Amino acid sequence: MALQVNINDIISQLYQNRSAIEFLFANRENITVNELLSRGDLSSDQYQKLKSLDLIYEYENIVSLNDAVVSMFEDFMEIGEVTPGFINDYLNELHRHIKFYQEVRELRFLRSIKKYLKRINSTITREIIKLQKNVDDTYKNESNYRIKLQKLEDYRLKRDTIIDFIKRTGEVVEEARSLFNLTNDTELYGIIQSLKGSLIENLDFLIEIQTDITDFINKIQFQLDVYKKAQKLKEIKDHGALHFKTNFNEIVSSVNTLRYNGHKTPRTKIAVDFLFTDDGHVLCKRVAEKYKLTRLMVRGLADKMAGNFKDKGLEQQIKLDTQKLVDRFLAQNKTNLFEYLMDYKFPKSIGTITFEERLSLFVEIAMEYQTILDFKYRLQYYDYQDNEQKKKRLGYTLILPMKEKEKKEVKEEA
Amino acid sequence: MLAEDFNLPKQTHDIFSIMARGNFISSNGSRDGMNRLYDIINSPENFDRLQAYFNVIRYNIERGNNYFYFSKLSEPNSELEKKLERFERYIDIIDLLASMDNKITIGSRFRPTEIAEECNANVRLKQKLQKIPLYRSETLHNKVREICDLMSRDSYLELEDEKTESYKVLDSYNYLLDVINSIAIYEDTTGGSDDAQGLIYN
Repeated sequence: MALQVNINDIISQLYQNRSAIEFLFANRENITVNELLSRGDLSSDQYQKLKSLDLIYEYENIVSLNDAVVSMFEDFMEIGEVTPGFINDYLNELHRHIKFYQEVRELRFLRSIKKYLKRINSTITREIIKLQKNVDDTYKNESNYRIKLQKLEDYRLKRDTIIDFIKRTGEVVEEARSLFNLTNDTELYGIIQSLKGSLIENLDFLIEIQTDITDFINKIQFQLDVYKKAQKLKEIKDHGALHFKTNFNEIVSSVNTLRYNGHKTPRTKIAVDFLFTDDGHVLCKRVAEKYKLTRLMVRGLADKMAGNFKDKGLEQQIKLDTQKLVDRFLAQNKTNLFEYLMDYKFPKSIGTITFEERLSLFVEIAMEYQTILDFKYRLQYYDYQDNEQKKKRLGYTLILPMKEKEKKEVKEEA
Repeated sequence: MLAEDFNLPKQTHDIFSIMARGNFISSNGSRDGMNRLYDIINSPENFDRLQAYFNVIRYNIERGNNYFYFSKLSEPNSELEKKLERFERYIDIIDLLASMDNKITIGSRFRPTEIAEECNANVRLKQKLQKIPLYRSETLHNKVREICDLMSRDSYLELEDEKTESYKVLDSYNYLLDVINSIAIYEDTTGGSDDAQGLIYN
């Protein structure tokens, strides 16, 4: 028999051995004494103490927490098993307590009423969540269609029961309204308000569950109907009348999935020009790696272009023109090379050519085409203004087109 | 028009590579993240973008009950013979599945051995199975296997666990059932043999 205990004792014992209690709560079944003690967080003395307080039981070497403790935790965390029967019990209790109402013992009366109203509220909500989950699970995971249908039917009944409870709760609250008003208790008023709110909400949930169940049952029913039809069709087919007694041909020919129309995965041909680009090369390389083709791996990628390749492009364009420029220069004999370049009208597409650029062009031509130019080794002077508007004078070598005769001589020497 | 203009989800390639092979994308498929792909197509703005994108190459996304597939716009009505043959075979298969005690429905899992076992125990089923025209299959078990293989190639089933050979029925199975359901029978040849399975629900 349990010792005389007080709350303080119980709480401090539970707290002291909280890890063992937690373990026992999580593993409610099949924990032996040895298992529990070998965990190391509970000495055998403490174990005896807990046992003497009746907080844990030992039966045939199996340890379990006191049911009262377990249900306290469960109630508190709202995880315990609930069944519609609970709601029924609570409702009956509520009825009973309301009948017992005596003004003298108002406090006590109110306390139990509040307790049951709260419990009804939380139990109904939990019950509905559980129902929703079960319906979903059953449709998705139950493989046997008969059991599936039966289970869904059961849930439908359960739903009706809960709706009935909700109605009854509403009635009870309504009947006792004058009584509750008499008590003039604000807390009770708040509880009733939240209960009413959640009753309405829960009714909505139940309607949704109902449509879910109906939907699921209809889907299963549809499949069964189709199965029956398939059997019928098979029978017709065995009689060789499938193409004549049904519109099988029409239906099948209107089937439009890709698979049944002999479509292969589309293949797009890649343009050869594209394959010669760098992107194409990367593609080739990938294909080569995939199919282990060494032939496609030979060609390498070009180095990265310099950042200023556009400017270079412009220079290149001028350079490309130099040959023609020199030819034109050679064709005339009025001016020397320097003056020719200074006055030359370059095509607009190149853009404006600055004095410096013309100068470098002059040096370039002088160096590259020295064999076909006539260097006079005489200085001439050119006056110009620089960027800061200062007057400057530049000395340059006089270069003239070579005479025909001299050209030939040069060639012979070479 | 460039691919970027459509603002496509990044899984477009995966979606295309599954559906262009003529396969379905079902909401309860788990291989290759199929359920995720389903969710992506199912979101309305993605659906419109993908639809516009694939319409360019004349493919149309068709929406079924929890599944998607491609159809071809303005298709040439080719291969009718093959199509008829295929669906005739599916009638045989569904008829077999319909006659099992443990009928498979969307989401149910089964192993070919279970079906083979049941066929072995029931003469009617055994005959049905043996009469289904399949190639190179001798034993009942292999025949069932081949049926499962055929159906998973058509993406109605999914091989969920290779070790235990366990298959799962996908949502696309509805498509097959829908096709069969839409076939109309001109005259009733089986007068009143219906066993009363019809339940009336509100």
